[in-house]
Amino acid sequence: MLIKYYVCSILTLSLAAFASASKETLVLLNNLVIKETHSILFNTLKERGYHLTFKSADDPTLVLSKYGKYFYENLIIFAPTVQEFGGSLNIETITQFIDDGGNVLFTGGVSTGSALRELAAECGFEVTEENSSLIDHLNYDASDSGKHTLVVTSSSNLIKSEEIVGKSNEKPLLYEGTTVITDPKNPLVLPILHAESTAYSYKPDLPVKDYSLGTGKDLLLIAALQARNNARVVFSGSLYFFSDVAFRTSVQKVDGKTYDISGNQEVASNIVLWTLKDRGMIRVKSVNHHKVGESSPPPSYTIMDMAIFLVELERWENGKWIPHNANDVQVEFVRIDPFWRGNLNNLKNGKYEFTFKIPDTYGVYQFKVEYNRIGFTAIRSSTMVSVIPLEHTQYERFILSAYPYYSSAFSMMFGVFIFSFVFLHYREDKAKGE
Amino acid sequence: MAKILGIVSKFYDDYTKTTSKKLKIIDAYLLYIMLTGIVQFAYCCLVGTFPFNSFLSGFISSVSCFVLGVCLRLQANPQNKAQFSDISPERGFADFIFAHIVLHLTIVNFIG
Repeated sequence: MLIKYYVCSILTLSLAAFASASKETLVLLNNLVIKETHSILFNTLKERGYHLTFKSADDPTLVLSKYGKYFYENLIIFAPTVQEFGGSLNIETITQFIDDGGNVLFTGGVSTGSALRELAAECGFEVTEENSSLIDHLNYDASDSGKHTLVVTSSSNLIKSEEIVGKSNEKPLLYEGTTVITDPKNPLVLPILHAESTAYSYKPDLPVKDYSLGTGKDLLLIAALQARNNARVVFSGSLYFFSDVAFRTSVQKVDGKTYDISGNQEVASNIVLWTLKDRGMIRVKSVNHHKVGESSPPPSYTIMDMAIFLVELERWENGKWIPHNANDVQVEFVRIDPFWRGNLNNLKNGKYEFTFKIPDTYGVYQFKVEYNRIGFTAIRSSTMVSVIPLEHTQYERFILSAYPYYSSAFSMMFGVFIFSFVFLHYREDKAKGE
Repeated sequence: MAKILGIVSKFYDDYTKTTSKKLKIIDAYLLYIMLTGIVQFAYCCLVGTFPFNSFLSGFISSVSCFVLGVCLRLQANPQNKAQFSDISPERGFADFIFAHIVLHLTIVNFIG
């Protein structure tokens, strides 16, 4: 009797599926003036279809969710000095919001409030000490007040990811504020913008007496966390970085180089759009697998079958899902350990294919596509299939080299037959017979 | 050497004289089985174990037949009458045949 195997297919689609709907955004501000001083950024978001709700960070009516349902998909906190949020908002509710897939953008400043420090720590960023500022005596803007805290940082310090920061260009970035350090071993944290090697973080009014928490390229100006559920959290130590002033101003570096306009607007808008999942979103559209020569998944595979695995990827771009083409997507055929790991062959239009021979070992396997690339949502897709041994009728019969064994087995049968006759009909006392 | 030869010839003489004809038939049958088994094993060593199930069933059928044959010989031997007092020779032979039927059904199933 044949045991029936049922194919069980589990598809772990990323949260990307909801990207098109995630437009509700709560913006928390220190005071409503920030709404005007950062209007370019907010207008960019509105143009992209985001619905922004502005509230004061200590508004006593603040609430993110009710009866387990969130009012917002995204949270922007432009309130660097907030010590305690109003309403039901606190570190627990915000981290829960992130755990449930919400995206958060928040900025610090020279005096970063304890609420934001705690939130940053929850996300794996450590904000440098109170009242300290990024200082660079070699790269500051001409309009600096004398403390060298209005830093000009090269766009080459940005993370090499077009999805997060856009196409690279020469324009330098203006930055004023605090910094964070992160654990470089944390695989989920991305250093979006790091400081120049000549920069350090210290209190600008005090003489430097001890070693500061971080110097040079270890200091991150903007850091991102893409959690395992693909929720995105971005921390910037500078609210100024996103302001209209920074977007519109010209840059004159202390070494004499001048630029008509800073690169802030482009980079800041891209980073914010990335945080709010308008950029760098990919997802699995469909997964299919079948035997060579067939077109639908079989209830189970037999060992040594030739099988084809197909997957389709799409990317969110300019408000719609389009096919995503890459040449580095891999698939694994896993039974605890991978038996196969192969490059998926790109067939154009975001379709990928991998043809392979099912191993000579039966069991329950998974097709796994794990695709983690900087700036993109992490894809983790697994599809379970069972592989059964050959059926009784599928074995090879009458193998030439096995004929001696066949003949011996039958000669044993014949032998016992003959022996029985001889043994039974033999009489010890021959006299009787003869 | 001469001693060993003496032992062997004495053994042979005793065997021809004292062993009953019935047991000699069984012994001939056992010899035939043993040779078949040895030939199979040698063949397997020469050509490899490829149809391993076939080799196993062929070889095991020889070994099992040999074991069953030895069992029959023990029961048929008049010297062991005391031990098998409640088992008649007919009963012993019927057991032998029954075991063979089971054995060969299994072998044919497994031989591929």
